[in-house]
Amino acid sequence: MVSFARPSLLRQTLATRSPLLRQNVGVSQMVAFHASARKQILPPLPQSLEGTMNDPVPVPKPHPSEGSYHWTFERAVCVGLIPVCVAPFAAGSLNPVMDAVLCSLLVAHSHIGFQAAIIDYFRPQRVPKFNSLCNWLLRAFTLTTAVGLYEFETNDVGVTEALRRIWNA
Amino acid sequence: MFSQKVAQQSLRRLAVQQPLAMQWSMMRATPAAVALGKGIQSRPVSSSPNTEDPTQILAKQRLNRPIAPHLTIYRPQIGWIGSSLHRITGVALSGTLYLWATAYLASPAIGWHLESASMVAAMGALPLAAKVALKATLALPFTYHCMNGVRHLIWDTGRALTNPAIIKSGWTVIGLSVTSAIALAFL
Amino acid sequence: MASLRSTSRLFAASRPLFRPATFARSYATVESTPKNVDPIPSENPNMKTFKVYRWNPDKPSEKPNMESYQLDLNKTGPMMLDALIRIKNEIDPTLTFRRSCREGICGSCAMNIDGVNTLACLCRIPTDTAKESRIYPLPHTYVVKDLVPDLTLFYKQYKSIKPYLQRDTPTEDGLENRQSPEDRKKLDGLYECILCACCSTSCPSYWWNSEEYLGPAILLQSYRWLADSRDERTAERKAALDNSMSVYRCHTILNCTRTCPKGLNPGLAIAETKKMLAA
Repeated sequence: MVSFARPSLLRQTLATRSPLLRQNVGVSQMVAFHASARKQILPPLPQSLEGTMNDPVPVPKPHPSEGSYHWTFERAVCVGLIPVCVAPFAAGSLNPVMDAVLCSLLVAHSHIGFQAAIIDYFRPQRVPKFNSLCNWLLRAFTLTTAVGLYEFETNDVGVTEALRRIWNA
Repeated sequence: MFSQKVAQQSLRRLAVQQPLAMQWSMMRATPAAVALGKGIQSRPVSSSPNTEDPTQILAKQRLNRPIAPHLTIYRPQIGWIGSSLHRITGVALSGTLYLWATAYLASPAIGWHLESASMVAAMGALPLAAKVALKATLALPFTYHCMNGVRHLIWDTGRALTNPAIIKSGWTVIGLSVTSAIALAFL
Repeated sequence: MASLRSTSRLFAASRPLFRPATFARSYATVESTPKNVDPIPSENPNMKTFKVYRWNPDKPSEKPNMESYQLDLNKTGPMMLDALIRIKNEIDPTLTFRRSCREGICGSCAMNIDGVNTLACLCRIPTDTAKESRIYPLPHTYVVKDLVPDLTLFYKQYKSIKPYLQRDTPTEDGLENRQSPEDRKKLDGLYECILCACCSTSCPSYWWNSEEYLGPAILLQSYRWLADSRDERTAERKAALDNSMSVYRCHTILNCTRTCPKGLNPGLAIAETKKMLAA
């Protein structure tokens, strides 16, 4: 104990006198750490673990329609979006059928994208009520968007044609 | 043979150097001593029993633990900055589409004019600089999201997933999307 | 050795004799806590500032803070771990961090250095002394103390993927589970993972959803067993991953591949896993 305490004491007294110090030392060595402020939107809960350290985490039940099928469908929609997004630039505006395909793919893509964002930031295990509220809001908005686009396609000039006109206005 | 000798030697040394210790240990080890209970230790004061559930000590400590800083201290790199831009532009574009389509559906009820003719007229009334700025703010998220989306689709096939390729493709996407957005803005 | 050290300190003590009076005044006002400076700098000291994340579980009401230390690089080894060990040995023995092998094979000293996750023992100290180095624990982990994160959940997740060979049929010769060189080659880049958790804790998806999402390191290990030609429970392993959370929270951000201190590619392993699941 003594051998441990003495060098550190010596070190401290020496350090205070060392001429080197003055060039390098700021006013305070301790800086308050701001990144973990109270402003966080959805702070993680205090740590708790299910079961003992030796238990594995529970394995969820297989759910391909939320897993692999969902992923494949998502990729298919994305791949399908590429030609219908590029075609208007090449061919001017599209015919109504292609316009309808574009709109439905856009709605599907947006819905999946919003769903992913909701699950990422408001997962059901953390905020179950808010998660289901978001999901229901999303479903409602997807529905109104789909109906609104249908109205626009049938009663107006169509999405690509409208965009073309606005762009050239 | 050798080990026996070593043991004997060390015992002898112990007997010579510390006769007391030798006596004490011999006394304890004899069958008589064991039978008399001389080997049993006794403590004058009883220790107080700990009533706290030992499995809860760690659980309680865990509740106090802070979370190490993350988003604010991670070095800005093209990979995750680009990815977060992908999410932001996606939400912005889809959000615009959703809000506009829903507003269009509700426009007869609330009296807004969102049909193409009035939007074209509104756009036409803007000065040139505002037109270009508006077009650019619409075009840049679109071009970025599209091109980064293609990058993602290539990754999903398992290709171009090396560090140099990730960095190069990230900057390529940014360059292409900015130039194409500028081109679209002046179209 | 100890005597040698104390004599060198005696020599150092003679230095302040030449201190001008102006400095003496500033000493009283400016220097508040001079304890965190290299005790015996060399002749032409090359001082670098290290800012280290500190949190003490014995004072849970106090917030985490950044404490700065100054070391003479001329007297410090080349790696970040050398600097940390010097700080602990010679400046502040209360600094707490994990380390073991000092050669990048145990994965104990994983931490966030200058903004990226890496092993302190494999990370060179940047020689630019004008810029300070910042050292944090692995991002978005629960901190046990200072630079020590709690990786219990990480290990529990590792256990959940059954990281061992599962076979129902006995081998042909009753001795070994044989494998062709081509099949063995598929495990290269997977078996080298040391489970340091650098990649998992660099992944924003894992930050937000660590309870359900398995994270890059565990998914790389999982793919190591999916890709193993000797394993016979591939279907079962795939079913365990086929849900919205375990794999599909991966949005190919690829911080994992960027940060892996062993040069492995967890991003590619996850992409291959997704392809396997889709097929």
